Amino acid sequence: MTRLVDVPAQFDDRTFEQFAGAYAAAARDGERLLFDAHATEWASPYGLVGLLAAGQAARATGSAELPLLTAPTHTEVLTYWTRAGFFREAAELFEIHGKLPRVKPAEQSDVLLPVTPVRAAEDVHAVVSNIQQRASAILASELALDPKATMGFAMALSEACQNIVEHAGTGGWVAVQAYHWRRKLARRVVVIAVADAGVGFRHSLEPTQSKRFGARWSDAAALEAALVQGISRFRDPGRGQGLAGIRRYLARWDGKIAIRSGTARIAIVPKWDDDVPLQDGLPAFPGAQVLIIIPEQGSTTP
Amino acid sequence: MIQHIDVHAVLQESVSGVYADLVTRPTGRVVRERIERAMATTQDPVTVARIDFTGVGCIDYSCADEIVAKLLRDRRAVVVLSGISDGHREAIEPVLAGHGLAALIERPDGGGELEALGAPEAAAALLHDLVARRLAVRTSAGTIALTLA
Repeated sequence: MTRLVDVPAQFDDRTFEQFAGAYAAAARDGERLLFDAHATEWASPYGLVGLLAAGQAARATGSAELPLLTAPTHTEVLTYWTRAGFFREAAELFEIHGKLPRVKPAEQSDVLLPVTPVRAAEDVHAVVSNIQQRASAILASELALDPKATMGFAMALSEACQNIVEHAGTGGWVAVQAYHWRRKLARRVVVIAVADAGVGFRHSLEPTQSKRFGARWSDAAALEAALVQGISRFRDPGRGQGLAGIRRYLARWDGKIAIRSGTARIAIVPKWDDDVPLQDGLPAFPGAQVLIIIPEQGSTTP
Repeated sequence: MIQHIDVHAVLQESVSGVYADLVTRPTGRVVRERIERAMATTQDPVTVARIDFTGVGCIDYSCADEIVAKLLRDRRAVVVLSGISDGHREAIEPVLAGHGLAALIERPDGGGELEALGAPEAAAALLHDLVARRLAVRTSAGTIALTLA
């Protein structure tokens, strides 16, 4: 039997919970999954890498056959997903149904970094190298960030990707895009989205942290320990610098970070946003999904 | 003696030659180990190691920790960082502060003038120690400069 997982019409970090709930319900009995994106009208980079993570998990734990994916029917949506490099990665994870356009992944557009696999340190080098030239123009001219911010942006991106290499126990994906965020800010933003279907923060930190937390140990506690307290699974005192560095960078440029792992989600919420700082008891979803948003500088009153 | 170490060259030997960025912990580890090897195998005893970051693009926090913080903790020689850009400082400074460490930075405008970067107390102690050991002097302009060429 095939179980259906609906992909939301507007697929971003807000609607991700709806998707995760559908995934958790459908994946329960290990049947083959069908991810239905035929009616999807828009997907953020977070949605795209999250969908790949779901495919990765379904492939790893589900039936022997590849999960199915029904591609969006809207031509513009299909074209964007292709330009964003989604189908290049999805082809290995899903049996795709639908006619895909023959367009190359974007080289000159708001897609600063197409959906890119991250499996090893070498991939992080490639990501950082690729992003710097393209991001610097966007960050300085369109987001009015100090040119010095470009280096910090590359650092934040590098550290976000390294979480996959060091903690996930499997590969993942990163995507970076600039767009005009009408709904929330009415200004331009640059978004970094990173996702994997690996072991997640709780499992990664468990050997060194679970005793300390005792009965309070949970996905939420693990996220809080990693993001707020800068705790790493490694005993080396220099570890845990990455997320702390990202937080410093975002504090300086009024940015946001949200991390979802397992059944919890944590966010460092800037004034312009009304996100919930910590959510627990969410539908179980494998691995970790990271969202970083850097807004255009100036007044960020929503 | 002062030993000069070109980090960009070490990086090129350590990872694929096309990358100029010091990112990821494995890369930092390989680069540091090569630097340590270079410091250990020199014929003359190294008093000051000038670690030159000229040509290095981005440094992330992991590499700053793996290279700079660990070289400083090792204390084999006085470590002086040169060719440091504002972007490099952004990664190195908080890492050092987090460890309670300080590093000497050679100012880019020449003249061998030094400043200490990192935890304030460690920075003051580092400069004091350097002058006490006569490896550096306080100049008439109130700055600190290496005595060795």
